[in-house]
This record gives sequence, C-alpha cells and structure tokens, in this order.
Amino acid sequence: MIIENFNHKMAAHCESGTITSLLNHGGLNITEPMVFGIASGIFFGYFHKMKSFAFPTFIVRNKPGQMRINIEKRLGVRFKTYDFKDPVKGQQTLDLLLHQNRPTAAQVDFFYMDYVPSWERVHINVHFLVVAGKENNRYIISDAYFPKMVELDAVSLEKGRFAAGNMSPKGFIFHLDKLPSEIDYHKAITKGIKKACFYMLSIPIPFLGIKGMRMFAKKVVEWPQFARDTEHLSHEIMKINILLEDQGTGGAGFRFMYATFLQQAAAMISKPELKELSGELMEIGDGWREISLFSARIGKNRDLGPAKLKQLSEMIYDRADVEERFFKSLSRVIK
Amino acid sequence: MSESLADLKLDIKKLIIITLGIDQVDPKDVDDEKPLFGGDNALTLDSVDAIEIIMAIQRTYGIRIADQNTARQVIGSINSIARFISEQQSNST
Repeated sequence: MIIENFNHKMAAHCESGTITSLLNHGGLNITEPMVFGIASGIFFGYFHKMKSFAFPTFIVRNKPGQMRINIEKRLGVRFKTYDFKDPVKGQQTLDLLLHQNRPTAAQVDFFYMDYVPSWERVHINVHFLVVAGKENNRYIISDAYFPKMVELDAVSLEKGRFAAGNMSPKGFIFHLDKLPSEIDYHKAITKGIKKACFYMLSIPIPFLGIKGMRMFAKKVVEWPQFARDTEHLSHEIMKINILLEDQGTGGAGFRFMYATFLQQAAAMISKPELKELSGELMEIGDGWREISLFSARIGKNRDLGPAKLKQLSEMIYDRADVEERFFKSLSRVIK
Repeated sequence: MSESLADLKLDIKKLIIITLGIDQVDPKDVDDEKPLFGGDNALTLDSVDAIEIIMAIQRTYGIRIADQNTARQVIGSINSIARFISEQQSNST
C-alpha cells in the first residue's frame, strides 16, 4: 500500500524537504525555504581540530534534527518521535504507522539507500527521507533528492536506520502528530530570523557564525599540515565545493535558499526591506559559489601552493565581512 | 535579441569548450542529446566541471541555477541546457 494522497516532491535539502513534505501532507501549505528560514537553518561553523572529524571541516546549516525542533516551537506543530534499540521493534512500529496511513520520516545512513547509484553513496548518518508505503516487503520511499518515489527492501532500510558510528540514527523516525488551528507567521518568521542573526553575529563561541568564517579563513592556509600528501589535500580542498554546493544545500551553502525565504517572508509579513536583503544575499551566495569554483579548480589541478591557499583565505575573509554587514542589516530590519 | 535554438546550442558548446580549456573538441562533434556526464559524448565531464559550467552559464546568460537538483537536470545535456536558458530568458522578458 502507498499512503493515500501522499505527494512526492523534490527538495533542495533532505531534512527541510522531509519536514515540508510531512507538513504539506498534513494540510499545511508551506514551502521548503519557509521551513528552512523559520527553523533558523542558516549557520556557519568551522571545526579545526575535533575528535569527530579526521580533517578540518565546516558546516553551513544548524545541527541535524534542530530544524524539526525549531519548527515545532515556532509553528506550534507537533511531531511524534521514536527511537529504538531493537531493529525488530523499529520495523514493527514503522509498519504500524504506515498501516495507520501516516507518512513517516526516517533518519538513515545514506550509504544503504540502494536506489542511489553506488558511486554516489557515502556514509552519512543524518540523511532524512519519508517512508510513504510498503508493498511486497519493499518500502516506498520519498527521497527529496529523487524526482520520483523509489523502492527499498526492508533489509537495506533496517541497515540504514540502525547504522553505527557518529550520529547513528538509532532507528529514529517521526511523523506529524498535530497541526495548530492557527499559525502566527509574523511571530514565527521574526523569531526564526532573530535567532539566525544571533547565531551568525553574537554566539560567544569563536568557531561559530561570522567568527567561525574568519577562523576558517585564517586556518585554511594551515591545511597542508594535516594532509598526508598532495592527493589528500586536493581531495579536502575539493570537498569545500561539495559541502557548499552538492550536499543538499540549495546552492552556495544554503545562502540561495535563505534568500528565497526572505523574499517569501517579505510578502507574508509585509516587510519589503526583506526583499531587498534577499537580493543582497543572492549576491553574497554568488561569492560563495566563486569559492566553490576556485576550490574545485585548484584541487583538480593540484595547484595548492601557499599563494593559492592565501587567495582562498582572502575570499573567505571577504564573505565573512559581507555576511557580517548583511546579518547586521537583517537584525535591524527585524528588530 | 533572442537567438535561434540551434545558434544557442552551438554557443553553449563553445562556452563549455572555452571554459574547460578543451579546444581539441570540435563543437560540431558534440551531440545535443547524449549525456554530458559519464556517457560517450565528445564532451565527457566530471562533477568538478559542473560548477565551472554552472558559473559560466550564470555569467554569460545572467541566469542563476541555484539549486543543485535543478543544476543536475539542467546540465545533463546540451539540449537541457538550451531549454533551461530559453525558458529563463522568456520568463524574464
């Protein structure tokens, strides 16, 4: 059976896309950028030396799972969540929810999703999808990165849901439990923007927000010290492009998606200044895309001397400066 | 002034060849419909080339391919790139 009236839609990002899909199915007409913006999804963090990362890295969104929590708080919706130690119980509960006609989101290790071509599969324990039915012991999956719904056998889904390692899913699933009768979008949008501005401008942690961008700019010239050889360094530098452009970011490290949110928010809460800022952020995103291109190019050509890394560093410093000005303007508008 | 679809496709091929510095490829040998990635077209590209092409299209035609799901579909073939550019140009007029 496939859940009645479930509409599959592609989305830019798996988590915001999954939440949007569940809300839309429940009857709430909301877009993915609106979910992302209200959930204060935009972020920046740089991790130079941390146990959980083998090499310095950065993030461009808030932590996995936080979008759902923020959406619940700000829209007043309720998701029912479950996690499991026992895979058998995990599957039984999922089957029961499907039997009750509830599209159910699941956190999985992307690697086990065998509908994805093998060369694209990597171990990421925080991929989200919607399970929208089950037929002949195969689950019907709505994965935001795919144009159509796909099938996945029960064993692969179980492996994905109960994969071990950092941020292991532990069988985590959730479904929409309750929608409020009314939503105060003005309040939700305002709160979402204020929190994003706080994270970007004022969070007192030196590797997060704009401060994190500047740390990234400062430290990227030291990356050769961490690399085994030129091949390894080129792989890590090219990963900058992947993290900004190719991991469900909607382009330019979520900057384009947040710009779309601001454009939609401008109309919803009658604040035309947000539309102007949306245009500004699109241009800021173009600058991040230049960084993607530059990183991909120097990585591919193994052109990784100190002068090139310094140039990359300067480009990142420049993004920090423009984003600082942008978020200051945004916080003034939303005061 | 809008150019014909055939001219647009030729321009796209030239743009890709110049952008990627592969001037040994003759634009006439590039098939319009065959995949540009992982296929047997005269132009065979990798994922790093993708961002180069996206940026080049953005600069040349003044249109943004923001979302990577869209980007993946758009830069699949010369025909899909030409279709996207034509649609974007007609939407903006």
